Amino acid sequence: MAKYIAKRSALAVATLIAIILLLFLLLELMPGSPFNIDKVPFDTRAMIMEHYGLDRPVMERFAKYLANMLKGDFGISYSLSKKTPITALLAIRLPVSIRLGVQAVLLGTIFGLALGMAAAIWHGKAMDTIATVVSVLGVSLPSYVFALTLSYFAGFRFQLAPMLYQASSPIYSSVLPTISLSMFTIATVARFTRTELLEILGSDYMLFAESKGISGAALFFRHALRNALIPIITVLAPLIVALMTGSLVVERIFSIPGIGSLLVSAIQANDYNVIIALSFIYSAMYIFIMLVLDILYGIIDPRIRITKEGE
Amino acid sequence: MAQTKRALSAALAVLLIFSLAACGGGNTQTSGGGSTSDAPKILNIHIDVEAASLRPQIATDGTSFEVIASFLEGLYSIDGAGTPYPCIAESYEMADDGLEYIFKLRDAQWSNGDPVTAHDFVFAWRLAVDPETASEYAYIIDTAGVKNAAEIANGDMAVDSLGISAVDDKTLKIELAFPVPYFLPLMSFPTFYPVNQKFYEECGENFATAPEYLLANGPFKVTSFQQMATSIDLVKNETYYNADQVLIDGLHYQVIKDSQQAMLSYQNGDLHIATLSGEQSENFASDPEYTPIMAGYLWFISPNTEVEGLGNVNLRRAMALSFDKSAIVNNILKDGSIVADFAVPSQFATGPDGKDYRATSATYLSTNKDLAKEYFETAKEELGMDTFSYAMLVEDTESALNVAQFLKAQIEENLPGLTIAIESMPKATRLNRMEGKDYELGLTRWGPDYADPMTYLDLWITGAQNNFGNWTNARYDEIIASAKSGDLAVDPEARWEALKEAEAIIMDEAGIFPIYQKGNAELVKSTVKGIEWHSVGLNRVFKNVTIAD
Repeated sequence: MAKYIAKRSALAVATLIAIILLLFLLLELMPGSPFNIDKVPFDTRAMIMEHYGLDRPVMERFAKYLANMLKGDFGISYSLSKKTPITALLAIRLPVSIRLGVQAVLLGTIFGLALGMAAAIWHGKAMDTIATVVSVLGVSLPSYVFALTLSYFAGFRFQLAPMLYQASSPIYSSVLPTISLSMFTIATVARFTRTELLEILGSDYMLFAESKGISGAALFFRHALRNALIPIITVLAPLIVALMTGSLVVERIFSIPGIGSLLVSAIQANDYNVIIALSFIYSAMYIFIMLVLDILYGIIDPRIRITKEGE
Repeated sequence: MAQTKRALSAALAVLLIFSLAACGGGNTQTSGGGSTSDAPKILNIHIDVEAASLRPQIATDGTSFEVIASFLEGLYSIDGAGTPYPCIAESYEMADDGLEYIFKLRDAQWSNGDPVTAHDFVFAWRLAVDPETASEYAYIIDTAGVKNAAEIANGDMAVDSLGISAVDDKTLKIELAFPVPYFLPLMSFPTFYPVNQKFYEECGENFATAPEYLLANGPFKVTSFQQMATSIDLVKNETYYNADQVLIDGLHYQVIKDSQQAMLSYQNGDLHIATLSGEQSENFASDPEYTPIMAGYLWFISPNTEVEGLGNVNLRRAMALSFDKSAIVNNILKDGSIVADFAVPSQFATGPDGKDYRATSATYLSTNKDLAKEYFETAKEELGMDTFSYAMLVEDTESALNVAQFLKAQIEENLPGLTIAIESMPKATRLNRMEGKDYELGLTRWGPDYADPMTYLDLWITGAQNNFGNWTNARYDEIIASAKSGDLAVDPEARWEALKEAEAIIMDEAGIFPIYQKGNAELVKSTVKGIEWHSVGLNRVFKNVTIAD
């Protein structure tokens, strides 16, 4: 098992390094620089590029960046927040995105499970139709549609919740973005829960369990739901990463100081270090979750481990 | 199974209640566009991007400049009409040759109680040009003519050789390399604002990163700020020398990037001022709170005169006259932009006669399709060519692309035989290509750095960095050289007339094809009075604002 974990971890680290290198090379191809003001004289621009070492060859910068990164130094922002260490920006913005993501995942999972269970229990009835409609809408409509709709009706027309994020009341002012972001999760979880439960509820072992006298909540939760949860967790993992690393559009609409909106701004401003640091964090979180899943699968189902080790 | 359903129903009810409870809670907190007489009068301002830096010598963006100018003041500022007036300076004397200024400073204080001294200006200006600071706006110190600024910024001279010194705590001496007629209005630019050296050194790397690392000498002081914050709060600075004249209790800046959200927040009463997008501008044009503002930006086509055909003055004239500019501003942009029949925009530079530059200048290259055809025929004869085909670089914004499509259609329709291919790309790529002279036609723009026609006219002198098209004219170069640092520089009236002559030269030769001067629009609550708008440097100034109950 230890060998399996070590192998997967080494692969994860190599993937991350490859991603950073790729980013360096891609940024090198991007036109312009972080110092793009056309009014600034060429001489001054060259001096500034030299000052920050941006005139050095790309591989030299890559090696230096990696060395600094191991010390926890992601460099500074060149244009978005001039001269601010990226770690300071992350300290401000990452917790906001993570909190919002956690809220959205919790809400989405709770409602998704509830909806999926209801649809399975009342299969073929009105509840099932409602769950199907919600699932289709949640999966097919992008989150910004929900964001704009909620903002207009719940925020503006009926004043049920704030339209903009306020650092002074982070939970209350994030009600609308949380709901907007959770819609996809609700839909996905509901769909999977319904499908899995329907399959399990109609299976022979459920009939067997019922015939043994197990009934009510014990039958449903212990025998049906528990078995249905395994594939749902697989679906949830990438959703958790996507939600915790910030939403590009929802953050923009509700003025949330998260890392999703920061990445968009960084790309527009050619702010190299911010782009690399945020892409790294996104990749690292994704790879980490996938690594944990891989290991968990290996523990739950040894066949997976054996198959992969045999490859 | 019935039992299962009952158990499940109960479980669902519990889950729903739990989830709703998790969403609820908290108290409504509105910043309140509508204030009552007892509530503090806070001006709620919409900004569409975060401030990049509150360090006056590092900031380069309009939002940062605006916030900085709310808590810092320099030697001079400009009023709503563009006229300079003293701030930290009390008075000044200028040498006859215009090469030396002596400023007497008033008794002003920093918000920590320290006096504002001449040393604070010396320290700040040196900071701006020090290569170690790596300030993009170091060049503005050279634009002001301050002796040795360019040499220091390029690393060729020591920082302490900059032409600024403190005669004593309250007397500041500035030496210029050449006379600069627009020196006083330039002092309103934040790069020239003072920095308290002792405080700066105490803060170290943290300087200007949080309220406790910021000092104010202006009308407000910062109470809430962090890097890339989506809101910034300032309260009235009681130590400000003119605090009696500040009639509101503070400012609240709110970043809202989505223009629809900004409008809803405005209509909700959460904002006093909201900036309209181009599309919104049309919808709100009849609203009594609609406030059009003329920006200094001039949009024009730059022809590369080294490309075959575009070196011919008659072909350039034909193209410049062949498109309907009023259709562009009235039917495409619809945002308050105006037709530009000039190289120097309106409402940003006031002459020695106290009048706007455009008020006493002629107009040029007004749309005239018949005349365009005549020039086109002449050009064809002179060049011995019947067909022309050029590529036009355009940045990939919606409005630029719309304008470019219209220009292409108009030029091709009115000048048969001339075709234009649009090359759309990010702005950075367009600039790279144009700076490298790798283009034929380019749809570009320029905004003013200071309130003088020179901020435009020196773009097009021979060899200038932003003279992308390499247009050249000896008389033009001569006038600009003299108006910048020669005889004309010390004769304001003659200089003003000479600048008009220079503009006439480039327009007559169609060195650029002017299209429109950009307009912006804001919604401002009717209870708010006293906002000053500028098309140069500081876009908006709030220190004289009043909010009626």
